[in-house]
Amino acid sequence: MKFRRSAPLILITATAFVIVAASIISSLLFTRMISSVEEKQFSLMHSIVAFSLEGAEDRALARAALIADLPKARALFAARDRAGLLAEYSKMFTDQKEKYGVAQAQFHLPPATSFLRLQTPADFGDDLTKFRPIVVAVNRDQISRKGFAIARSGPAIFGVVPMFDPQEKPIGSFEVGIAFNDVLDSLKNSYNIETAVFIDETSLHEFATGIDPGVFSDQNRVGKFIRFHSTNAAVFQSLVSDKDLNATDNTQYTREALGVTYGIVLVPLRNGAGDVIGMMAATSDFSASRSSRKRAFVWQALIALFSIVLLAGVTLIVIRGTLLRPLEIITSRFAMLSTGDQSGEIPEPELLCDELKGLAQQYEELRGAGRKET
Amino acid sequence: MRIFAVVLLLFVAQVAVAQSPPKSTDLPAGSQRVEVQAGGQPSSQDLTSLPLGKGLPVMVRTGLYFQSITAFDDNEGAFNGTVDMRLRWEDPRLRYPAETTPSGFQEYRGPKADQKLKEVWVPRVALANLKESPADQATSLRIFPNGWVELMQRTTGRFAIPIDSGSFPFDKQTLDVEVTVSRETTGEASLVVLQEDIDFSRPAQDLSIDGWTPGLVNIKKYTRPGWYGEFHSGLVVGLTVARDAGKVVVPVFIPLLAALLIPMLAIWMNHTEAGEFAIDTFELGNIIVGGLFAVIALNFTINAVYKSVSKGDNTVTRLFGLNYVALGLGLAIVVLLYRYNVPMRLFGRYVQEQVFSYLSWAVPVLAFGTALAFILVAAS
Repeated sequence: MKFRRSAPLILITATAFVIVAASIISSLLFTRMISSVEEKQFSLMHSIVAFSLEGAEDRALARAALIADLPKARALFAARDRAGLLAEYSKMFTDQKEKYGVAQAQFHLPPATSFLRLQTPADFGDDLTKFRPIVVAVNRDQISRKGFAIARSGPAIFGVVPMFDPQEKPIGSFEVGIAFNDVLDSLKNSYNIETAVFIDETSLHEFATGIDPGVFSDQNRVGKFIRFHSTNAAVFQSLVSDKDLNATDNTQYTREALGVTYGIVLVPLRNGAGDVIGMMAATSDFSASRSSRKRAFVWQALIALFSIVLLAGVTLIVIRGTLLRPLEIITSRFAMLSTGDQSGEIPEPELLCDELKGLAQQYEELRGAGRKET
Repeated sequence: MRIFAVVLLLFVAQVAVAQSPPKSTDLPAGSQRVEVQAGGQPSSQDLTSLPLGKGLPVMVRTGLYFQSITAFDDNEGAFNGTVDMRLRWEDPRLRYPAETTPSGFQEYRGPKADQKLKEVWVPRVALANLKESPADQATSLRIFPNGWVELMQRTTGRFAIPIDSGSFPFDKQTLDVEVTVSRETTGEASLVVLQEDIDFSRPAQDLSIDGWTPGLVNIKKYTRPGWYGEFHSGLVVGLTVARDAGKVVVPVFIPLLAALLIPMLAIWMNHTEAGEFAIDTFELGNIIVGGLFAVIALNFTINAVYKSVSKGDNTVTRLFGLNYVALGLGLAIVVLLYRYNVPMRLFGRYVQEQVFSYLSWAVPVLAFGTALAFILVAAS
């Protein structure tokens, strides 16, 4: 082993190892902090989506309850006066649709037969039992319910309330459905969060017979789902795949699209029976936190480089400058002396370290003795 | 006498009528009256007043299409271009039977559009960051049977934009167009963006900008404070453009990195013989001073060509800073090590030898490592 090479190498390697390890740990801690910030952002997005959906459900339920309690509505429905109900509430529905995003309003007869759709008055009499479990439950239990469903006019957020005749005898139910478009566009305008609703295509074909067939385009098809509405189709095309939509619980992930890293949350939409009928996706730009992470890594690497180079310098200068190089000179002088050459001097012996000063002194004494002999 | 009494009574009655208080419907001069009927419509068909039929605020759907960008000067913080602004809102007062227009809408262009705009309510929307009067502006108005109004306005002009050169030359800039409602408050008219407006808001397919690659269009809402605590609705529609970094590497980064070699040369040119330096300090000092002038000249040149990077914290200013630090370090090495042999005086010639040997590789490694870090940070 050559001490001149191996000693500094061992010391510098050990130093570098410690510094790199410390930098990696520090980088991991920073990454965790960034992840925690992103986690909070995800949590906020989940809350915003949940709050908006619940808010839409409550608005639908409140509107339905308001109409269902009106004496005239009760009397007309009890008398099965379809034309009277239409005359009374048609304008109200048009206003609600145009101003407040109410997409559907329907009276049902027990157990779940359409009596009057204010959005399509000509369509009535069909049985909703198969795909409207909430309506069945409301008519069975006489308790208001809210939730998502795919109706004939398309998927919406519904509030369904039981209706009673003037003698408080159950006569059916009334529902109000708020369009997803309205909720999604509000989210976009209020929070700048891009959102999309994906609905199971089979269910759409089976139940939503009244929707625009243009929805079933290849562009909107994502696996078994149809992108029913989105606030930014280009972004969602890259961010949500059919595999992602197979989740049955709240999901979150990050993905890059069009050069920007996005955080995506997926919230399953379940009907009254608990079956997943679709997914709601919300996405937000995460590029700021990702960029911070990369920048922090570069700065930490630079600090590590400075630390290693500076400590390596100290190691090399101390070991080689104060120990090995003077030792090399003293050794060469002893070698000269052994061959009888007494001309070699050790320069600046006073600047040597104490341990080497003794050696240099011994050399000078030996050299002096040799001179006396000659 | 009776006749006189009757005449007197009539006179008193006339005076009383003449002095009666004004009717409650009279309004002070300058005030505007809107009588709302049960249906929410004004009694008189003053079509220039706010349409109240759909409630307030009137939702004005807004989109902006980037037709062309003829020049983008990031030094001045401005771009020249043509944009199409599309505003759509519903005014139920303008509904008419669909069968009266075979094309599906009433269309007004040029002077007819200008005239029609005076007859109906139109949100007063301005492109707030236009630097001067537009070079050209054309307007088209369409009114649909269901009361929807579509105002299309093509504007050619110079738009002022903020420049963030922090990530130069890997920076992305946003060619913003600020669309602001200048008259109506947020309670009266609000700009909104829905999917169709997003689809409309895009760059033209053949749009190209020298030295930049066009990307997506982003839309952000904002509100501008008005009088009496009111606000005005606004949107910033921005076309993201990424700088072609390759075009900047040769004129900016190669000289900056080459200049970093000057102090290294002053270190490398010397060598030791028996622990003492062989080259005259004066010559090496000259290299440093020459390098200082070279970096100052380069600084002036780059600042003149790329004004946007002359201020603030960005890769170029950092690299200039690094150059000055490296020159300062080189000068310190020449003076303290080569001229006055400070390490030798303090610790002996062998330590000085090692210090010199160490500095020969450590200074370049740290200098170029730092330069690389600056570039990587900008690229991230």
